[in-house]
Amino acid sequence: MKRKKNYSLTVGGTLTLVFLLFALVGQVWTPYSPTAMDSTAVCLFPCAAHPMGTDNFGRDILSRVMEGSGSTFFVAICTVLIGGAFGTLIGALTGYFGGRADNLVMRFNDILLSFPSILLALIFVSLLGPGRYNIILALGVLFIPSFARIVRSEVIRFRELDFVRSARIMGAGPLRIIFFHILPNARVSILTAAAIGFNNAVLAEASMSYLSLGIQPPDPSLGRMLSEAQSYLFQAPWYAIFPGLTIILIVLGFSMVSEGLRAIRE
Amino acid sequence: MKLIIRKLITLIITLLVISFLSFAAFSLIPGDAALTRLGQDATPQQLAALRAEMGLDDPLPERYADWLAGALRGDFGESYRYEGTTVASLLSQRLPVTVLLAVLSLIMITAVSLPLGIACARYSGKWLDILVNQLTQLAMAIPPFFLGMILTYVFGLTLRWFQPGDFTQPSEDLAACLSYLAFPALAVALPKIAMVVRFLRGSVLSEMGKDYVRTAFSKGNSENGVLYGHVLGNAMIPVVTFFAMVIAEILAGSIVVEQVFSVPGVGRLLISSISDRDYPVVQAIVLYVAAATVLINFAVDLLYQLLDPRVREA
Amino acid sequence: MQPLVEINNLSIRFPEGESSFDAVKKISFTVGAGEILGVVGESGSGKSMSALALMGLLPRDAEVVSGEIRFRGQDLLAMTDAERRRLRGQEMAMVFQEPMTSLNPVMKIGKQVGESLRLHTDLPAREIRERTVAALREVGLADAEAICERYPHELSGGMRQRVMLAQAMITSPSLLIADEPTTALDCVVQAQILELLKKIHRERGTAIVFISHDLNVIREISSRVLVVWKGQIVEEGSTKEVFSSPRHEYTRRLIASYPAREPQDGKGKPVLRLRDLDVWYETRRGLFGKKGKKQVIRGVSLTAREGEILGIVGESGCGKSTLCKTILGLHNRYAGTVEVADGARPQMVFQDPAGSLNPARTVGWILEEPLRLRGISDREERKRLVASMLKEVGLDASFAGRRPRELSGGQRQRISIGAALLMDSRLLIADEPVSALDVTVQSQILALFARMHRERKLTILFISHDLNVVRSLCGRIAVIYRGEIVEEGRADDVYEHPAHPYTKLLLASVAGRRAAGEDGRGPERPEGAGEAFLGLTDQKTERAPEGCVFFDRCPERCASCRDKRPDPTDLGGGHTFRCRRGQPA
Repeated sequence: MKRKKNYSLTVGGTLTLVFLLFALVGQVWTPYSPTAMDSTAVCLFPCAAHPMGTDNFGRDILSRVMEGSGSTFFVAICTVLIGGAFGTLIGALTGYFGGRADNLVMRFNDILLSFPSILLALIFVSLLGPGRYNIILALGVLFIPSFARIVRSEVIRFRELDFVRSARIMGAGPLRIIFFHILPNARVSILTAAAIGFNNAVLAEASMSYLSLGIQPPDPSLGRMLSEAQSYLFQAPWYAIFPGLTIILIVLGFSMVSEGLRAIRE
Repeated sequence: MKLIIRKLITLIITLLVISFLSFAAFSLIPGDAALTRLGQDATPQQLAALRAEMGLDDPLPERYADWLAGALRGDFGESYRYEGTTVASLLSQRLPVTVLLAVLSLIMITAVSLPLGIACARYSGKWLDILVNQLTQLAMAIPPFFLGMILTYVFGLTLRWFQPGDFTQPSEDLAACLSYLAFPALAVALPKIAMVVRFLRGSVLSEMGKDYVRTAFSKGNSENGVLYGHVLGNAMIPVVTFFAMVIAEILAGSIVVEQVFSVPGVGRLLISSISDRDYPVVQAIVLYVAAATVLINFAVDLLYQLLDPRVREA
Repeated sequence: MQPLVEINNLSIRFPEGESSFDAVKKISFTVGAGEILGVVGESGSGKSMSALALMGLLPRDAEVVSGEIRFRGQDLLAMTDAERRRLRGQEMAMVFQEPMTSLNPVMKIGKQVGESLRLHTDLPAREIRERTVAALREVGLADAEAICERYPHELSGGMRQRVMLAQAMITSPSLLIADEPTTALDCVVQAQILELLKKIHRERGTAIVFISHDLNVIREISSRVLVVWKGQIVEEGSTKEVFSSPRHEYTRRLIASYPAREPQDGKGKPVLRLRDLDVWYETRRGLFGKKGKKQVIRGVSLTAREGEILGIVGESGCGKSTLCKTILGLHNRYAGTVEVADGARPQMVFQDPAGSLNPARTVGWILEEPLRLRGISDREERKRLVASMLKEVGLDASFAGRRPRELSGGQRQRISIGAALLMDSRLLIADEPVSALDVTVQSQILALFARMHRERKLTILFISHDLNVVRSLCGRIAVIYRGEIVEEGRADDVYEHPAHPYTKLLLASVAGRRAAGEDGRGPERPEGAGEAFLGLTDQKTERAPEGCVFFDRCPERCASCRDKRPDPTDLGGGHTFRCRRGQPA
């Protein structure tokens, strides 16, 4: 087998890894304390001491972006793990066994999926209250249907294939068939769904935090930084540009990974 | 016809289920309406009296029935926050603004993405396609509110094509209102344009590989003849379904973008109501959006039947 | 006289990353006006490529490296796109393999058939409409007016292929290219389409290039034949010559008959016994819809005895696969009895070699799975058994490390058979196991079945639509039509003395038999003798539940067949059939 160069996967993967590293470093070391205010250095233009400048309280933007990226990744990873695990399980079981339960679960799924996810997340938050863990819970639960749908359609596709029938004839049980015969074939689809899920989680968390309904201070967040930066857009555009750019590049990384994975699947 | 009636029944059931779920969910929240209205200092007696007056002690199904009966007449009760103001009047001020914003971005999306998507498929692999591919990937990665901030900075603060925050109600001056809304509409539309362009391009290209396309060429059709005469009719079928999702996404996008541009629409009302725990307003908005989404899906279903003869009698 | 088509030194190449693949290597041939040229070769041999190049329909990544293509003396490759478009659909037309997907699913039939006229003439709409209806009538679609208003999915496969022919012939082209036009169709429909092509050729004098992997079909229709192998023409000549004295090795292998049948006494004890089997599917519309019942198998009684190969013959959709599923316990909506002898452990070999092996696993894992399921937990033991099984099915032990996608169709079928045998199966159910394979590979796999049967005293239920294949392997056969067994008996009895009208029809439509006569080389049938086929339909109507299953297509039916299901008639020696004519009046 020849390997075609998978440009999207390479670039996207690199981008993701770089920012993951950036965020991890931010957890243990930042140039300044992200909360330290310096009234002598308010709204500084990017310079050697502050590569991304400072904000209206004189806090170092680089340090805050590093710490904020950490939250972004944390929320995204937890969300995708919750959604992915439950979604895969539900999708695999309903897809394989079918019947009335499947019909009902999928009808419910379709309804959930036809709603704008940010609206549902907002409803959740208005029920649970804002905060990092509530956001994770809300987004995680909301991602279950999309995973379930993808896994279900894969399982249904494979369920009717002859190699699965053959395993059934040989007497393999349903769980063995689902986990040992079918799901290994759905790996790439699940990974693609996960990459898209990361993408959506980052965007959703940023939007909610921007609306002050997501991560609450003192927890750092890129979305929240942007909402604070909006008032200083004219005096200190860099205050908005760097956190915004970070979000864009993280999302771009994930979306290129998902595109690369899709190319593999085809 | 039978199919349509069946779909209508499903639609009504769906709406009932959604409305009940959202009503029940909001009833479970600790700290009820009486507490919200009277504040933490209220005595238990005052609370009990108000609860009885507001009917909060009745069992859930009964309260739901009351609420639903009101909702069907357009009466969603009073706002907790703005005492004496009905939810209906709050909504009726905001709704036209949001609808206008949504329609404006839908027009932008349709006008740009359909020709662009087709062109990308027609010239796939050429410079236009490659350029658009990169741009759309970027556009989808930008959070809509950040896009709004960029537009504010460029067109509002630098070029001064509009004055951020200086919104004119459509009832006062429609033209001024539209020229303001064009920018938030663009912020909502841009990521969706990218989505539709990619989807349409993919759909056309996958149709191009099918056997009937070869048949069409074998009859002497030109490239354009095949594309417009045969492929597009098939390629648009999945795109129609996709549009249902896009419209839902427009509503979602406008929630955030209204905040960025200080547009007094339903989205902004929703955010402030959530922050203020003004639940009657939140409930009403949820029901509105649910109804809108379900109806759009219904309309798309009908359109689908029209486009695809294979599902018509199935 | 100038030939209609002249192809000289044509080479076609597909770039594959750094290297490239030559699909056609310096091919030269001509097509005379009004002749039928057969092009035969297996899949991937490049047999369709030169025809596609002639039409200008090569895949986008293909590249004509050298050579010229002349049509009526004009060099096609030197023409502009617009000039070539004028020829396509007007002077040359094409019919493809898959009638199911070759028509535009969202366009009405009438519009599709008339399209060539709209593109190439200035005829008024009314005139086009009239000619469309006439063209549909000519291909044997009696209800042409109504069919114009229908969509492709409302028609059966055979009707769609007729529509394809109508839309190709509507402009009266001088050349018709037919690329495997009968491959996707059932036996009887296949014969109909062939007759139709012959009729078109006879009445219009259209030159036809007929491309197929099926020798029998080629032999029946074409007067001259090209044998294509690995991108080259290895043999060329009149059909008679090539078939009677093939010169090239490959042609000889292609023509070599199937392995000879082994004697089977059919006296062993029953391994499988079906009694009054009814099988159905439950249908439900939506979440709250009414339950429905779709009957697929009706009143089937059948016994397979130890050590025999029992053939089940029927066209697609007759319920063969459902029958397999029911026997194997994969489908449980049935009434009646299914008895499988103790220790028979029925296993199955499927038709599609692409789907029968798990693409995410290695061959070794796939072959070990039956052993794991049998409870053999010793890894070394499993590996040893797998290695010896690989040898037994004619593969090397190193295959254990490969993935299914690296294997050819024939190799995959060998693995499937091996996996079934590793379950220690005594009853093998093979559902069209060779239909998806090339002819030369088919005979190898059939030989493997025959060897396994001989060496292991296996009982095999062999299901196929291909009467030639069934006859070469099976001792006894059952003919099934729409879920009912219409005739059953020893293979020789059924083939020599078919009793049921459906069996007769099937046998009459077997291409090789018709072309060469019963004894394999007899006189060709007179022109037009097959026209009896043309009137038959393959559009299935809602059947009367109490009548004879074959009523709507039967050439020998009478009024009482409509509402009375005939009982089986015994002709002796286990030869039975279900038809009114067998019964006392």
